[in-house]
Amino acid sequence: MATKTVASNRPDWADDDDLDDTVDALPQGTTTTNKDGTKTIVSWRFNDEGKKVKTTRRIRFTTHTEKVNPRVAERKQWSKFGLSAKDAAGPTSDTTSVGENIIFRPSTNWRKDAKEEKTEAGSMKDKLKDKKVKCRICNGEHFTARCPFKDTMAPVGEEGSADPAAGPADAPEAAGGLGTGKSSYVPPHMRNGGNASAGDRMGGGKYERDDLATLRVTNVSEMAEEQELRDMFERFGRVTRVFLAKDRETGLAKGFAFISFQERTDAAKACEKMDGYGFKHLILRVEFAKKAA
Amino acid sequence: MRPILLQGHERALTQIRYNRDGDLIFSTAKDQHICAWFAHNGERLGTYHGHQGALWTVDVDPTSTMIASGAADNTVKLWDIQSGKCLKTWDFDTAVKRVEFSEDGSQLLAVTEKRMGFLGTIVVLDINRDVNAEQSGEKVLVITCEDAKATVAGWSYMSKYIIAGHEDGSVSKYDAKSGEQLDNRQVHEPDALVTDIQWSSDRTYFITASKDKSAKLVNVDDLEVMKTYTTDTPLNSASITPKKDFVILGGGQAAMDVTTTSTRQGKFEARFYHKIFEEEIGRVRGHFGPLNTVAVDPQGRGYASGGEDGYVRVHQFDKGYFDFTYEVERQARAAQQM
Repeated sequence: MATKTVASNRPDWADDDDLDDTVDALPQGTTTTNKDGTKTIVSWRFNDEGKKVKTTRRIRFTTHTEKVNPRVAERKQWSKFGLSAKDAAGPTSDTTSVGENIIFRPSTNWRKDAKEEKTEAGSMKDKLKDKKVKCRICNGEHFTARCPFKDTMAPVGEEGSADPAAGPADAPEAAGGLGTGKSSYVPPHMRNGGNASAGDRMGGGKYERDDLATLRVTNVSEMAEEQELRDMFERFGRVTRVFLAKDRETGLAKGFAFISFQERTDAAKACEKMDGYGFKHLILRVEFAKKAA
Repeated sequence: MRPILLQGHERALTQIRYNRDGDLIFSTAKDQHICAWFAHNGERLGTYHGHQGALWTVDVDPTSTMIASGAADNTVKLWDIQSGKCLKTWDFDTAVKRVEFSEDGSQLLAVTEKRMGFLGTIVVLDINRDVNAEQSGEKVLVITCEDAKATVAGWSYMSKYIIAGHEDGSVSKYDAKSGEQLDNRQVHEPDALVTDIQWSSDRTYFITASKDKSAKLVNVDDLEVMKTYTTDTPLNSASITPKKDFVILGGGQAAMDVTTTSTRQGKFEARFYHKIFEEEIGRVRGHFGPLNTVAVDPQGRGYASGGEDGYVRVHQFDKGYFDFTYEVERQARAAQQM
């Protein structure tokens, strides 16, 4: 058996390319051995633009000895030919590269392992698979809009019992169904026999009353919490609602809040006392909320 | 394991061969040169130029001095491995789909295509093992396949028989001296062509791969199917691993259907089956197209696969591969030691 020594080097840690504008003779390359066993090799060359390029490489040599058949060892010394005739010793990057690491562990239940990975991706699909379309008029397996009885029958349940899986297809139908039982359009305020329910109209009844005892608080710290505001304002009377505007993505306060009191007198007192109050390094500005336009 | 990617070809791979020591890899593709590579680091030794058509096949002689190649330009060429020189060209009537050296390297068989009114044949050529000697141009034996053309063929142990796989899914056995057909057996489904035949290390049995999505282990003496490995994709290649009792199968749906399906569905993986228990034990991903050929290092250290994507991926097995055993194997080994 012949012994052959193969010197393999670690991947280049860094190729430092320093540009130098002055064009003259190239300095001699240097090789220095570092304390930690690595070697620093400095080489100089001209690049395509005629500029001088300094390349500094730190290389650690590891010797890896392998015993091979003499025939094999001899073949390793063969010179290259054909398209590879001009290649230097060692693999060249244009024909040979190293792929990403593949974990290959033979196992009798590999199929089970692979399946586990798969179910995660397919879980959403599986969840939706069992959902069935249900008609709100006749409970059949079709969208309400497609129901054969839609013109003759009213829905089985009330408006709140809409099946989420029924999807948007039945939305316009729901409006019609609530109105007269015919498929003509009914404006929202005319539905339910024309009795507008609370909350149907923006700026309607409830809010009008509310605005009288609602304070607008600005210059609120980002870190503020609704509960903190409630605690602060409850000293002046019964607080019915605290609204702190928050950013949807970051969850931080946007810097303003609305506080509703039960009594307008309490609100007036709070407005007077809390305007200019220092809260979390910021001075609060409190005023009565203006009516929504 | 970290595969080495070899990018020496611009077109789909057709065959990969290791030499007997397992240090060299030869690859052919539908472009017109053969590449020789060092298996341990993927360095390219050289390329062999001279063919005028797509290369279908390559084989290495047992001493790693010569290779033979068959191409769509209706020739078989013999090359000197070390220098890359072409030593001899044999002309045929049709394309050559498979070449294989006999066990001692003194003969070469070539499988020719059925085309242009010519029937498919298996031709045997004499090889002078001296690189510098003149090679004879004489065709020693011509076996004509009248029913179904042969797609692949190989030499059995002691070069006693020639085993051929046919396009109708059958496998036949010929006497290597007289060319007489001794046996023919329908191993695969009819109309599922046999895409590959590779030998066990002692050449007493072989594995066939077929488009009918199965691979079979067949005995040379009576052409009996000993084991069947069923998959879910048409197979292009199959190989028996030495050292471990595994087989590696490569395939994927036909190249023309690839663009209409995603890689995940494509099943472009090398599949490992246990040779004895016929159970799938793992897969190796990596190719972007069907695997056209797989080859195993005769020393059992690794394997290489070539795909329709033009890449050769060389894998060195790691410890997990060698350590894997079935519970019954472990018990048998423990019982033996006692």
